[in-house]
Amino acid sequence: MKKKSRIIMLAILVLFVSAVTFHTASTAQALEGKEIKIGVAVPITGHGANVGKREAIGAQAAVDVINAGGGVGGVQLKLYIEDTASNPQEGVNAVRKLAGDHKVIAIVGPHYSGVGETTFPLGNQLKIVQVAVASSKPGLAAANRPYAFRNTLTEDKIAGAVVAEFKKRYGIKKVAIMTDIKDAVSRAVGTKVLPPTFKAQGIEVMTGDKPVTFQTNDTQFKAQITKLKMMNPDGVGLGALGPDALNIITEARRQGMKQPFMSTAPIMEGEVPELGGKAVLGTFSGTIWDLSLASADSKKFIDAYKKRAQTMYASKFTATPDYYPVNAYDAVFMIVEAIQKTGVTNTSSALGSDREKIMKYFTTLNNFKGVASRGFNEVGDGIKDVHVFEIKGGHWVPISK
Amino acid sequence: MFLQQLVNGLTLGSTYSLIAIGFTLVLGLLQMLNIAHGDVFMFGAFLGLTFATLGVPLPLAFFLAMLGAGLMAILIERLCFRPLRKVHFLMPLLSTIAFGILLQNVATQIWGSEPSRYPQTTELAQYQLGPVLVSSIDIIIIAISLGLMVAIDLFVMKTSFGRAMRATSEKPQTASLQGVDTNRVIIFTFFSSGALAGVAGVLTALVYSQITPFIGIRQGLIGMVAMVIGGIGNLRGAMIGGLLIGIIEIMNDAYFTASYRDIILFGLFFIFIVFRPQGLFGTKQREA
Repeated sequence: MKKKSRIIMLAILVLFVSAVTFHTASTAQALEGKEIKIGVAVPITGHGANVGKREAIGAQAAVDVINAGGGVGGVQLKLYIEDTASNPQEGVNAVRKLAGDHKVIAIVGPHYSGVGETTFPLGNQLKIVQVAVASSKPGLAAANRPYAFRNTLTEDKIAGAVVAEFKKRYGIKKVAIMTDIKDAVSRAVGTKVLPPTFKAQGIEVMTGDKPVTFQTNDTQFKAQITKLKMMNPDGVGLGALGPDALNIITEARRQGMKQPFMSTAPIMEGEVPELGGKAVLGTFSGTIWDLSLASADSKKFIDAYKKRAQTMYASKFTATPDYYPVNAYDAVFMIVEAIQKTGVTNTSSALGSDREKIMKYFTTLNNFKGVASRGFNEVGDGIKDVHVFEIKGGHWVPISK
Repeated sequence: MFLQQLVNGLTLGSTYSLIAIGFTLVLGLLQMLNIAHGDVFMFGAFLGLTFATLGVPLPLAFFLAMLGAGLMAILIERLCFRPLRKVHFLMPLLSTIAFGILLQNVATQIWGSEPSRYPQTTELAQYQLGPVLVSSIDIIIIAISLGLMVAIDLFVMKTSFGRAMRATSEKPQTASLQGVDTNRVIIFTFFSSGALAGVAGVLTALVYSQITPFIGIRQGLIGMVAMVIGGIGNLRGAMIGGLLIGIIEIMNDAYFTASYRDIILFGLFFIFIVFRPQGLFGTKQREA
C-alpha cells in the first residue's frame, strides 16, 4: 500500500512537473511585454543628417505598416532612435545606449562604414545585431562576425556591373581613376574596387596604383582635373560621394574635358543629375533601388514613407525616399521575420538569447522577400539585385539590358 | 601644366587671403581671435545663394551677401566681444567658438546638411592664354580679391578713419582720449572683416559650386595659417600668406597626394609659430 501510494505520488509529481514544463514551453512561443523594442542608430546631426533622417523615417514607416496590421503576434513595435552624429565616437555612444539603456532586441544602423568600424566590434562585445543600412566598404562585416550585418551591396559587386555597361557604351580602353582618400567607402572604391574591376574587363588603368586624390568635401578640384586632362583617358572612374562627384565633373567640363565618368552607389546620393545639369549627362552608376523602379512592394514602401515623412523630421530633404530608407525599412521587416520564426520571447530575462536568435536567423537568411533585400551572404553582407543607371535629362535612368 | 596649376593656386589663394585679412583686422584691433570668422564666410556664401536662387541679379546678391555677413560680424562683436571684454581675456574667444557652432547648426536647419549649389555655374566663358586656360570666374575672383585687398590696404594706411583704426589697435585708451570713437572703430572693423568673409564665401561658392554649413571650419583654419605665415596683425602679410597657401595646396594635389595637404599646411603653421613667429613680413609693419 505504502509503495503503491509512493508510486502514485511520484506519477503525480512527474505529471505536475511535465505540465509546468510544457506550459512554459508553450507560452515561449507567444510574445510577452507591451512592446518590442528595435533600435535605430543613424546620423540625425552632422554631415549625414539628411540621409540619416530619411533612414529613421524608413524604419519608422516599416513599424507603421507592421503595427497597423496588428503588430507582431499582437505586440506593437516601438522604435528607439539614437543619433550617431555622423561620427564614430557618437556612434559608439548610440549603440551603447540602445543596447544598455533601451534594451532593444536588434539595431538598424549605422550608416557610415567609418562608424561601423567602431560600432561593429562593440556589437560583438555586447552580443547584439546591427544591420547597417549604407556602409559598403568591402570586408567590413566579414571582419566583424558574427553580429555585424549590412543590408547593402558592397561596391565591388555594383562596380562589375557598371564597368561592363560603361565599357560597352563608350568603347573604353583606358581609364584614369580619381578617388577620395578620406571617406572610407570612396577610398575603397577608388583604390581597391575599381582598379581590379577595370583590369578584369581588359581596360588599362592609366593612373596605375597612384590614383589622382582628393579629400571629402574639398571645395575645389582644379589641380586634379588639370592633371586628368593631361592624361587624356577614354573615361574616368570615380571613388567619390555624390556632392564631390558633382563638383569634380562640373570642374572637368569647365576645363574642357569631354570624357564620361562612372562610379558606384555613393554618387547616387546628393541629387547629382538634378543639380549637375548638362555637365553630368552620360555619367554611369549602379545601385540596388531607385524611385523609378516601382514594384508593388516598392509602392507600399513609398506610400508608408511619404506619410510618415510628413510628421517626422519633416523637411524638403526628407520628403522623398532614396535607397537608404529602403534598406532601413527592409531591415525592420527582417528583424520581425526573425522574431516570428525563432520563438523570440521578448521577456527581459531572455533578452540575451533573443538577440542571439536574431543573429543566428540572419546567418542563414537568403531568400527574404523585401522591397530590395534578399538576405545576407556568409560574411554578413547583403544579397540584392544590381541595377545600372545613366544620367539622362536630369535623372538617373535605368539602363535596359 | 605647371603654369596652369599656378593660376589654379592664385585663384584659390585669393579667397584664402580675404579670410586671412578678416582675421587680421579683428586680431590687430582687439588682440582677440574671432573663431566664428570661418562660419561668417559660410553664412555669406549661403546668403548669396539664397538671393541668387530668388532671382536677384548676381552683383546685387553679391552685395547683399556682403552686407549680411558684415552685419553678422557686428552681431558677433555685440554678443561675444563687447559684453565679455572685462570678464576674462579668454571668454570672447570661447564664446566665438560657441557662436560658430551655433551658426553651423542654424544653417543646417535652414539650408540642410547636404551641399547646396549656385544656379548655372557651368556655363562660363573660357580664355586660352598660351598654355593656360582661364575662365571668366577665375578672372572675376582674382580681380575682386585683389581689388578689395588694395582698397582695404589704402583705407587703413591713408584715410583718417584708417588712422583711427591703427591708433585704437596700438593704444585704445590713448586713442579714446584723443577723440577717437573706439566703439565706432570696433564696429566698423568687424563689419569690414565680416563683409570680406562674405565676399570670399560667395566667390568660393561661385567658383567651386559646393557649400555646406560646415565649409567654414576648414576655411577658417586655413585663414589662420595664412595669417600666421604672413605675420600676425600684418595686413599685407595676410594677403601674401593666403596666396602662398593656395599655391602650396594646389601644387600638393597636382604633384603629391591629397592626404599630405593638411600635413604640409599645418606643419608649416608650426614651423612658423616656433621658428618665425613674426611671420614672413614681421608684425610691426604699422609702426614703420
